[in-house]
Amino acid sequence: MWSDLFRVARLWRSRWPALVAGLAIAMVSALSGIALMTLAGKGVAAGVTGGGLIGIAALLWLRPFVLIRPATRWWERMASHDAAFRALADTRVWFFRRLAERRPGGIGMGGSGDLLGRLIADVDALDRFYLGAVVPAAGALAAVLAIAILLGAEPWLLVLMALPLLLALVLPLALAPAAARAATEAAARRGEMRAAAVDPLAGLEDTLAANAEPAAARRLAQADAAMMRAQRRLVGRGAMAGALGQTLTQLALLGGLAWGLWAGEAGAALAVLALFLGIAALEMLGLMPRAGAALATAGAGARRLFETTDTPPPVAEPTAPAAMPEGRDLRFEGVRFGWRAGMPPVLDGLDLTLRPAERLAILGPSGAGKSSIAALLMKFAAPQGGRITLGGADIATLAAPELRARIAYLAQDARLFDDSIANNLRIAAPGAPDAALWRALAKAGVGEFVRGLPEGLDTFCGEGGARFSGGEARRIALARALLPPADILILDEPTAGLDAEAARSFLVTLGTACEGRSLLLLTHELTGVEPLDRVLRLAGGRLLPAAG
Amino acid sequence: MRQARAQRGRVALPVALGLATTLCAVGLAFLIARVLATLLGFAGGGWEDLGIAALLVLAMAGLGMAQEAAQNRAGEAARAKLRTALFARLMELGPDDKRGVGEKAALLVDRVEALDGFFARWLPAVALAILAPATIILVAAWADWVTALVLLVMGLLVPVGMAVTGIGAARESRRQMDVLGRLSGRFVDRLRGLSTLVQFNRAEDEARHLGQVAEEFRTRTMRVLRVAFLSTTVLELLAAGSIAYLAWRHGAHLGANHPDPVAAIFCILLVPAFFQPLRTFSQAYHEAMSARGAAADLAPLLEAPPAEGLLLESMPPRVTVAFTEVALRYEGNPRPALDRLTFAVSPGETLLLVGPSGSGKSSVLKLLMGFARPSSGRIALNGQDATRLKPAELRRLSAYVGQRAHLFQGTLRENIALARPDASAAEITRAAEAARVMSFARRLPQGLDTEVGEGGYGLSGGQRQRVALARAFLRDAPLILLDEPTTALDPGTEAEVMEAIARLCAGRTAIIATHSPQLRGLSARVLELGAGRMAVSHVE
Repeated sequence: MWSDLFRVARLWRSRWPALVAGLAIAMVSALSGIALMTLAGKGVAAGVTGGGLIGIAALLWLRPFVLIRPATRWWERMASHDAAFRALADTRVWFFRRLAERRPGGIGMGGSGDLLGRLIADVDALDRFYLGAVVPAAGALAAVLAIAILLGAEPWLLVLMALPLLLALVLPLALAPAAARAATEAAARRGEMRAAAVDPLAGLEDTLAANAEPAAARRLAQADAAMMRAQRRLVGRGAMAGALGQTLTQLALLGGLAWGLWAGEAGAALAVLALFLGIAALEMLGLMPRAGAALATAGAGARRLFETTDTPPPVAEPTAPAAMPEGRDLRFEGVRFGWRAGMPPVLDGLDLTLRPAERLAILGPSGAGKSSIAALLMKFAAPQGGRITLGGADIATLAAPELRARIAYLAQDARLFDDSIANNLRIAAPGAPDAALWRALAKAGVGEFVRGLPEGLDTFCGEGGARFSGGEARRIALARALLPPADILILDEPTAGLDAEAARSFLVTLGTACEGRSLLLLTHELTGVEPLDRVLRLAGGRLLPAAG
Repeated sequence: MRQARAQRGRVALPVALGLATTLCAVGLAFLIARVLATLLGFAGGGWEDLGIAALLVLAMAGLGMAQEAAQNRAGEAARAKLRTALFARLMELGPDDKRGVGEKAALLVDRVEALDGFFARWLPAVALAILAPATIILVAAWADWVTALVLLVMGLLVPVGMAVTGIGAARESRRQMDVLGRLSGRFVDRLRGLSTLVQFNRAEDEARHLGQVAEEFRTRTMRVLRVAFLSTTVLELLAAGSIAYLAWRHGAHLGANHPDPVAAIFCILLVPAFFQPLRTFSQAYHEAMSARGAAADLAPLLEAPPAEGLLLESMPPRVTVAFTEVALRYEGNPRPALDRLTFAVSPGETLLLVGPSGSGKSSVLKLLMGFARPSSGRIALNGQDATRLKPAELRRLSAYVGQRAHLFQGTLRENIALARPDASAAEITRAAEAARVMSFARRLPQGLDTEVGEGGYGLSGGQRQRVALARAFLRDAPLILLDEPTTALDPGTEAEVMEAIARLCAGRTAIIATHSPQLRGLSARVLELGAGRMAVSHVE
């Protein structure tokens, strides 16, 4: 837990000045609270013992502190929250970047629902680390030190008061590990609950078609109950910590009084002061043990974040990438590849050459490994044997972004984002003028359709292109792949979801769409109209010349 | 907030426990005052008072823990109820609801969780914020009426300060929730297409954009908090003012033969106890405000009347489908998806819907699945108006395979059994066999018991499609609705599956939307749709 929290702290390094400033303000605020109660105590004590001037002075000073204490509290809250949110925003972005690096091919098992839960809930839990533990601890530490100094003249009073307070201050450290286990459990159950909610929603049509709503509701209710049981344990620990904190601070207060009774009249003034300081400590330290739960929740969140992001990238970036080669020849030499260990490899000794401007189709049934060829080329995965070269250079030695810039790829699951058509297209070519977008749309055979939409290029696509029919969405994704000026174009089942006539009319124009680029067409069937130079068949993990 | 009323019973226990804690605190203040009076040389208490005080401290610890447990129970019950109702509602709305999955999940998980504070902390805090200070004012009046008056005035000032600051917070909080929803929606959306972003080297830009959204989130949250913290500050100001005033008043008088020193000290010590429930209230107040923001999003969903409709009296063994002049328009789309479509399909007959994409093939199936309602015209099943049935009942009649089959978390077997949970293992295997699932499942490490993740990771589109077909086989419904069932299959598998489909459709009423010329090999009637209108209808 601690190592994870330290790592979080390091992650926030650039925000340290703001975060430390928040701590300093918390200390100032705590000290002003102590000052307020000291003056009130001295005033009362002076009144009793007839302390004349001191009493009057104390009561005069009391007035500004009545304003200063709440003002510094407000300032403390604003400064600490602002700093925490800045740090959190950084964490979100960091997490996204890491995922892009570690899961470039998309998210697999674990599910996006759970990942979303991680980002929002776990990252948000990290703010408890700072706001719920570190900031109050800074204030409490300042308060305990101030009290120790004010009462330091009487060692026994110091022991009776400061010791329980100090205990309340360090208690979170002792309580945190057990609470951390409860928090890990609660966070995991919450992730499962989210997955139970997301899964039937993501497959909404299938859920409804099977009349499986009651079963899905039951599963969600079970996950919900499991989450609440875990939360209950966490809440129970928090409540216990809270009770401990209250008891310790109140015992400190009673300890001060006991010292007073023991010391007799001589200690009266100091005992009154101790009482008022005890009241101040009640507020500042009473909630401290609860920080243990905050630490634990944050620690559990951090653990899960790091677990997700610490998986090694599927393809290591070369430390010193070779310069991008001029040549455009693409070669696979004896490539062997399987997605999972223990399963037969999808590609087994595959050889392939794609010459510049050549148009090549690879035919094969679904699951034969056509998409794996593209994944290897895009460096979403690395071959377990053999090598792939571009212009003579092994792509393992090339920087992935530069390599990807040379290849335009229409994946089978190419996704339209919940954004405008224009923004979706510009993902492939930032800053492309509208005219270029229209040209790409026309090439994909969807120009007329988009022109007919009331909002044209500004039409929103909906999540995953849900606003359009499958064929329309596919063609917009196709237009996006045609947009960048890449050397090699990979089209993976480009006409899936298009009717025969539309598919045919698109494939006829493939020659112009390529505009001199090399083309790798991955498909399970050919219509015969494709302007191809060569057709290969993928079977048993190798490429064979297509018969006929 | 209608839920609040139903919760009243559950709140009684935490409130009673809270009140008991307050009474303990008053007793503690009194005992401390007696000891302090002794210290100051007046007649007061001694060690025995201190002992009782220590016991009270322990009692308060126990009460506090019990109160928290009771509050948590109240929150649990409320959240479970809300989540169940909301999920049922989202299912009822079906694909007609245009919210994305991320947004729906945010409603179902985060918004409902955000309401926890309302039920667990806000409702008890409201009751205690009135009852506890009132009790203390009564006790204070017995000791010193001026103190009681000061506390009363301060107590009345608290809601004034809160109202002033709270109104702004509520308005801000609502806007902030929108941003939170957008952030969460955007994240799932971009994460699902992570590989699309990576391949175009745009992940970095998106990360930056995500940073901007988070920055906006921060700015908005700070705007809410600026006001929210002010009201806490008002409270602290009042508390500090009370203490200072009472310290001055009693401090100035104590020396000069104060008539009742114990009462005087008692009055000062009551101040923290007086403000404690108000402070809890103030913390919970902002929880309630953010809950209100969340509730505003949930309320329209929860308060909508439940879907009405008839239930099936019995499962008809055969279904005749008849469309008469059926039209379907989607909101915001000037072109109708279907325009006065008329056709009929009898039991034992298969109808192929063909036509260019966007011609309304899927819409016909969606109408029959109750995912959409016709804008005009009549859809009859065995002569009865289909729209009078509850959509869920309508779906019981059919086995449906959509364009994008979804695999749920679980084993392949569970995924097939979804269509008929009471099916035996042999029936599931038979369905898997018929849909050619076995031809790839056999090669998987655990066969049909292989886990498949969300979105069907590890299975190709064609394999997913075959799992969906297996569901249709298992379902054994009189009406078969297939939307592009072979689009992701290679010709070899397609031929195999075709034959399976032919067997599936035999003796049943079947409607298949397709592009594939292969499917035309089925002995079927073909209905050509063009731009939402039926063009030709001919028997092959």
